Amino acid sequence: MTTFLTYTILGLVLGAVYSIAASGLVLTYNTSGIFNFAHGAQAMFGTFLYWQFQQWGWPVWLALVAVIGVVGPAMGAALHAVIMKGLRGTADVTKIIVTVSVLLGTVYLAQWVWDPDQARTVDMFFGTGAKVSLGGVEVRYHEIVCLVAAVAIAAGLRVLFTRTRAGVVMRGSVDDPDLLRLNGHDPERAAMLSWALGSTLAVTAGVLIVPISGGALDANHLTLLVIDAFAAAMFGRLRSIPRTFAGAMVLGLAANYVLAYLPSAGTFTGNLRVSLPMIILFVVLVVLPQDRLRGAAVRTRERYRPPTVRSAAVWGAVLVAGVYLYSLLLSDAGVTTLALGMTFAIIALSLTVLTGYAGELNLAPLAFGAVATVVAFHFGVQGSGLAARLNVQGVLLAVVAAALAGGLVALPALRLRGLYLALATLAFGEFLSNMVLRDTTEHELLGMRFTLFPDGSLVVPPLKAGPLDLRNGTSSLMTATVLFALIGIGLAALRGSGYGRRLAAMKDSPAATAMLGQNLVRLKLSVFMISAAIAGLGGVLMASASGTVSQENFTFVGSLGLLMLVVVAGIGYISGALVGGLMAGAGSAVLVATFNDLALAHEGMANVYTLLGHLVLVLTALVGMGVGRNPSGFVHDIADGYRRMRDGARPVLYGGGAVGAVLYVLAVTGVIGAWTFGIAALCVAMFLPLAGDMYRAEGRVRRTPPELAGVDEPYTDELRTELDRALGLPAAHRPARLAPALRGEANAPA
Amino acid sequence: MPLLETRDITVRFGGNTAVDGVGLTMDEGQITGLIGPNGAGKTTMFNTITGLQKPASGQVLLDGADITGLSPAKRARRGMARTFQRLELFLSLSVRDNVRVAGDVLRKGSRKQLDEATDAVLERTGLTDIAGRDVSDVPIGRARVVEVARALMTSPRVLLLDEPASGQTERETEAFAEMLTGLAAEGLAICLVEHDLPLVMRLCSAIHVLDYGELIASGTPREIRESPKVIAAYIGTEEAAS
Repeated sequence: MTTFLTYTILGLVLGAVYSIAASGLVLTYNTSGIFNFAHGAQAMFGTFLYWQFQQWGWPVWLALVAVIGVVGPAMGAALHAVIMKGLRGTADVTKIIVTVSVLLGTVYLAQWVWDPDQARTVDMFFGTGAKVSLGGVEVRYHEIVCLVAAVAIAAGLRVLFTRTRAGVVMRGSVDDPDLLRLNGHDPERAAMLSWALGSTLAVTAGVLIVPISGGALDANHLTLLVIDAFAAAMFGRLRSIPRTFAGAMVLGLAANYVLAYLPSAGTFTGNLRVSLPMIILFVVLVVLPQDRLRGAAVRTRERYRPPTVRSAAVWGAVLVAGVYLYSLLLSDAGVTTLALGMTFAIIALSLTVLTGYAGELNLAPLAFGAVATVVAFHFGVQGSGLAARLNVQGVLLAVVAAALAGGLVALPALRLRGLYLALATLAFGEFLSNMVLRDTTEHELLGMRFTLFPDGSLVVPPLKAGPLDLRNGTSSLMTATVLFALIGIGLAALRGSGYGRRLAAMKDSPAATAMLGQNLVRLKLSVFMISAAIAGLGGVLMASASGTVSQENFTFVGSLGLLMLVVVAGIGYISGALVGGLMAGAGSAVLVATFNDLALAHEGMANVYTLLGHLVLVLTALVGMGVGRNPSGFVHDIADGYRRMRDGARPVLYGGGAVGAVLYVLAVTGVIGAWTFGIAALCVAMFLPLAGDMYRAEGRVRRTPPELAGVDEPYTDELRTELDRALGLPAAHRPARLAPALRGEANAPA
Repeated sequence: MPLLETRDITVRFGGNTAVDGVGLTMDEGQITGLIGPNGAGKTTMFNTITGLQKPASGQVLLDGADITGLSPAKRARRGMARTFQRLELFLSLSVRDNVRVAGDVLRKGSRKQLDEATDAVLERTGLTDIAGRDVSDVPIGRARVVEVARALMTSPRVLLLDEPASGQTERETEAFAEMLTGLAAEGLAICLVEHDLPLVMRLCSAIHVLDYGELIASGTPREIRESPKVIAAYIGTEEAAS
């Protein structure tokens, strides 16, 4: 009985903190329509500051007032003013990516400021010793604070939403901001207020939850801890505060009863307790009622030119040739790093087809890579020791398994809006990395004894397919590159087919597509399975290129980083997948490592180089936050620049080619290093279009669109002839040339 | 027997009753008008008939079979097609692909047959000259015709048009009216929601009038024009207008 009571109280306390975090989430979602994936990161950042203030010798109460009264609201208001305000009317996918970028940026920033290798703890209020005895059970003051705070906050929010004017305005601001404006309210002010409040609640939850879950302060861990509150918010269907509160309590109690009553031997119970919120999130998604079909969410004029299969094939050949030439420059370690990057690029292609073509989201692409890796490890390895090889059947089986897992994960969420599919993948990714990738105990199933993840890591040998043996780095790199090119060509063909048109139609308007007779669930399911299969293939290749993989290779944060970089590079484009994947798999690693090496080599400059290394990470996240303004991605912009250059600035193009060739010769002869070449060549490739535009600006007159001709400029004869030509009028009568300046003055608007 | 019939349809949004016990009929080869002031429930009726909106009560019958529980896609496969008041074109596709994709969904025939069918629909709707254009560049009047073309590509038996003439020039409307008459002559049941009353009066053989979610009149254009209820609610009188 005492056990029951003890765990019940612990469960209620945990539930109380969940409810605080979850209600903040519900609040911002209801006033701005943005599901804030960065909620946990905000909690984490505030809690780190709370720790920092105490380090500076501030008393607990002052630190608490500072983070809850100042930092929390300021952070929320700033987020709203700088980033979230601009997201009104953008697609769900954009909103999710932006908040994911905020999450990553905040985590990077925290790891920069507070070295993750150093241990930190946050203590309970009044210390661990301060407690009272209730019916034989000891309750700490801190736990009482949690309970009281949760009840007060839930009641306060209920009153705010239903009884006060500000609350009603808040509720209205997501439904119809224009109507609010007409009634003399300012929807932006309501939204900012809700962001400030939501952020404060996140920080409050962070400060409360760290002491009750062990006291250790860790950026990644704390961020994910608050994400558990997503499940509670889902209980309230992201709307109802009371139901969210109830959900949070169920979550907290369940987590503690698991600890109390399941056998504690092995890793199973501990893992189950950690992944329970995600399992519950998944179950809630399954039972949610179907959404109404919607029309187009946004009407952007996103220009999208799908490549023809032929041009994709040509570019694929160019890529293979280019990578081969580049690999000649690299050391063995360099080749391995690049091969790893290329396998990430293959995983990135899974996002191109899913998000770029079909408009759906997968927040855990690496998790499907992990599924495939586990299957390949158990069913595809032949031989042992150094002679061990992965066979093709094993890889194929792994790909099929990834596709099936994808189908199972997606199925319950497909009837719902895109956000819920994203949450289902998140739940799956978390579940997998906690339950499967940490599962080192032996199981028995149908008479077979096996261990899913022996020793916490898997040794995945190189692939051997007939005469092709990928034991050296170059063959592994080239195989990955060729596979990337082939899948890329396949995707180009897919996009141009009837299936591709159906995907585009579903992305643009689900309602209209359904009205043509399309079963949307079936279409989404098929594309999600294709995507998961590609991610699975990339995952197996990645594991095989790394040699040894552990849970660390497939983390949720890693998946989010990949997704963000691909979106930044251009999610709708195969080239975007290449650049984003390479950046995620090799780029940041290389840059950060280079800066770290430099820091080690030049001790005097160490601070500067470490700073640059951190800056690279934070900057990519900043670019991700700006994605709402440029949904096509930067590769697309660069490609457009080249298209312009081909039409009007060929000399610059040739010049750029020449510079590239010179750089390559310098690198081959060893004058400059391979990575230096890589970075220099990348810079040339990226900035060449700028040079081209400058060249064109020099060489040609600016063109005014016909309707603006003569408005802000002198109305000259040339302009007039041009206008005649544009309008298709006969240019027959050509008046005697007047002095252009004179005519200009006469016609210039006042 | 009417091709499409609704019986006692009631739709509620929260506490608001948007449509209250409405029964409509549409016949093969006829153009039926559905008119009424803004907010009368016309688009809600369309959404209910096509399955985008679940009614609180009532039935939708197609060819005598109850289809109330069917999904929009299943209804479409039984021959229901519609256009949207707030355009729902596929903005990342060209005009031709907007029409073609309807063929891709139903896959009735080979690739070549679908190509030919697409060309035929484009020809019929007078869109051949802009077939290659990005649909986002097409002016609104013709964009509405693209929606009609896309709906026709599904070879429907019932075609629901939600304000197809708004945004069209007079000349476009003229060509459009001619096309509708032609389509009806081939046996299509067309339902027209439209504020251009002269157009409705001219094209329709039967007209239903909604007001505040209730059916206030059904009849021939002449009966509707003379119904005092309709005049009071929607058309207005000469005196009131002047």
